[in-house]
Amino acid sequence: MVNQSAIPHINQTAVDICPVTPGSDQSGLVKVKILLRFIFLFVWRKGRVSRRGICLVGLCESGKTLIFSQLIYKKAVESFTSMKENVGVLDIANKGALKLIDIPGHERVRQRFFDSYKNTARGIVFVLDSFSLNKDIRDVAEYLYTILSDPVVSSNRPQVLILCNKQDHPIAKGPQVIQSVLEKEMNVLRNTQTNQLEAVAEGGNRKSFYLGQEGKNFEFADIRSLRVEFAASSAETEDLENLKKWLQSVA
Amino acid sequence: MLDFFSIFSKGGIVLWCFQGTSQIFTSSVNALIKAVILQERTGQLSYDHDNVTLKYKLDNEFELVYVVAYQKILKLSYVDKFLNDIHMEFRDAYKNELQLQQFGKNFEISEMFTSILKSAEEWGKLQAAAPKVMKSFEESQKSKKTVASMIERKGDDKENKKVKKVEIKVPDVKIPEPINVELSEEDLIQQKRREFAEKMAAGKNKSKPTTEKLKSPKAASKKSKESRVWPLGGAPKDMETLDYTKDKDLGESPLPQQAVYLPDPKAIGTLQGEVRDMDFESESEEEEEDVEERGKNDYVPQQVSQQKKKTGIFSLFKNLVGSKTISEEDMAPVLDKMRDHLIAKNVASEIAGKLCDSVAAKLNGKVLGTFESLANTVKASLTESLVQILSPRRRVDILRDVYESQKQKRPYVMSFCGVNGVGKSTNLAKICFWLIENNFRVLIAACDTFRAGAVEQLRTHMRHLNSIHPPEKHGGLQMVQLYEKGYGKDAAGIALEAINHAQEAGIDVVMIDTAGRMQDNEPLMRALAKLIKVNEPDLVLFVGEALVGNEAVDQLVKFNQALADYSASENPHTIDGIVLTKFDTIDDKVGAAISMTYITGQPIVFIGTGQTYADLKTLNVKAVVSILMK
Repeated sequence: MVNQSAIPHINQTAVDICPVTPGSDQSGLVKVKILLRFIFLFVWRKGRVSRRGICLVGLCESGKTLIFSQLIYKKAVESFTSMKENVGVLDIANKGALKLIDIPGHERVRQRFFDSYKNTARGIVFVLDSFSLNKDIRDVAEYLYTILSDPVVSSNRPQVLILCNKQDHPIAKGPQVIQSVLEKEMNVLRNTQTNQLEAVAEGGNRKSFYLGQEGKNFEFADIRSLRVEFAASSAETEDLENLKKWLQSVA
Repeated sequence: MLDFFSIFSKGGIVLWCFQGTSQIFTSSVNALIKAVILQERTGQLSYDHDNVTLKYKLDNEFELVYVVAYQKILKLSYVDKFLNDIHMEFRDAYKNELQLQQFGKNFEISEMFTSILKSAEEWGKLQAAAPKVMKSFEESQKSKKTVASMIERKGDDKENKKVKKVEIKVPDVKIPEPINVELSEEDLIQQKRREFAEKMAAGKNKSKPTTEKLKSPKAASKKSKESRVWPLGGAPKDMETLDYTKDKDLGESPLPQQAVYLPDPKAIGTLQGEVRDMDFESESEEEEEDVEERGKNDYVPQQVSQQKKKTGIFSLFKNLVGSKTISEEDMAPVLDKMRDHLIAKNVASEIAGKLCDSVAAKLNGKVLGTFESLANTVKASLTESLVQILSPRRRVDILRDVYESQKQKRPYVMSFCGVNGVGKSTNLAKICFWLIENNFRVLIAACDTFRAGAVEQLRTHMRHLNSIHPPEKHGGLQMVQLYEKGYGKDAAGIALEAINHAQEAGIDVVMIDTAGRMQDNEPLMRALAKLIKVNEPDLVLFVGEALVGNEAVDQLVKFNQALADYSASENPHTIDGIVLTKFDTIDDKVGAAISMTYITGQPIVFIGTGQTYADLKTLNVKAVVSILMK
């Protein structure tokens, strides 16, 4: 008699423990799926969060190393042509630390250093010399084009700031003028870069990245995957407010 | 009298700087960095810019550079010592900050600098003031020979002379010679004893290992010269022994009888059926063979040392764990192997040597991480250097430049020069095809007025290209035109007329095809320089074939020099770019690309990979370097 009343109770508790009765492998499958989803979310978020790098790129003599030293060492230093990258940590109020990387501008080494740091880039600061832009416009535009059309950059989608440095010069151009000049140059570059010859030992498929919209003149706003902003600064007179504001927003 | 001294990090941040005069040295130091260090010529430690000589020292442990600048006319002897001393002092004083890379600190080393400079100057004065010390007897050449060998006696055997030669080849030893007259056999014994003593003394000998390797076994084997018996020569007294007449009594002849050929029964029947393939040798075996064959290199390595045989288990562990500083002796064997590998891949031997010296200078003193092996570090550094050399120093975008000239309403002028038979006309046609595909009109100037059929060849190309891109497709304009004036005329004049014609007709590009010429041929090089000077082309392309080996160095140096010397202007227009042709024929021996870019510093603009119009490619730096290092 005791057994008879106890059995349904035991059955009930058994049901409580294993809620899904028709085959235990289904419950196992669901659990595995939930676990996988957590792992995926964790890795994805970790990937996003771990990208804390800000790359300072630009041509030679544009002022990158000076900006780097002013942000990291809080003082202006003299500098020569960089042969190697400079890496420093920048603390942003309330938002943690950013890794600032100053990549040498010399044509022969810049691609190599940029390739090693572009994966960790949360933001890219392209420094250009506002004063000598007329002479260097083709080199500046080609470098900018290479960076913007880089496949890793397009997939990671860092924020891009084009910093018009050396504004302390009386006849330096302002950011809006520089933006329009660059847009015209990039427009021409779109056609020439996509019509370049295939490289040797590449094996057929060449990814030609067409920036902006076809049929329309090139505008920075058209690049859907990246957000490009312009700002003015002057490293000589320590006027880096715009840059600091941008860094705050990126962090 | 140093004008300038500075310590800066490899990232460009100046740690300390001394300026003796008001002259600004920034541009000189930047030129040094760009020309020497970034061009992988770190093997040479001094550089001249304007009137200033710059000497530098790399500190690879803390990633610093020490630079000294002084007037070129002064020949200061103490600069190297000064650099070494201040390197040591600075390093010891600021080791902690340097390890943490705190370059923002204020480094106050003026007293250190002045004291070291003073001591170095005094050392220099002492060196100059000290009278030139005469060589001691031990150091002289005479002590190497025995007295007996120097005495010339009539009727001496040739043996003595051979012994003398053997002694000179043996490396120098500072053991005083006993002065007594001895016979040749005792000379030999003495010499043997000396060699034995050397081996026991052990020490690094500074002689070239290659000569030692090769010549000592030979010296060891040939003790005396045996007289050679010629079958058809000989004195009358040998008549009997050399008589091979049939009816001679065989028992009298001392020479062996004519060999009776007995077939080897084992070999019969083994090669039946198909001929079998060669045995496949593994790669390492082949490399070792190459090393042995290449015992006598044209290029002699600068750092030479004997390999210390590391025995014991503990050294193995020491290599794996713990920080180890790389020294030149450690790197020498690895670099030798790398150099031979590069030479096997058709890099010119001089260039391979310079590259290895540059890598050695960059890695000397560097601290290895805990699980890094020396070979991998050296290989990685060499790969980096190769990528750096092949990367273009300036922007290479011909379409953009043509577009720019189009806007300025003048033609873009390209000229092709090179030695005979490299593929100038063929690749000119290919580039022409690429340009007309991009909607630019081209005028070909036939300035090869020497080779038979040159003009007809270009005419055929023109017709062919025009049929591929007929005028109807391009608004009634003929895409390719040919400007020729037959044979025997002056090339520079034809080019000038061609450019004027292009200007009037609104043609976008002018391509000047010149005759092939050897780099040593002075009148032809003059003619080429005149053509370049008179016409001022936008792009001077040197066409070189990828099959060329060490010749590439000679060709490019002489072409560049000719263009610079014979142009009689202050800013001569030298070679702007390289076209590498016949790339499909070389399989994986792509070293010519490295040789050419290293010599000129100019980028490879085009690569020709075949005979049809579509066989034109650009350089993929990473792919070529990976093929080279495989």
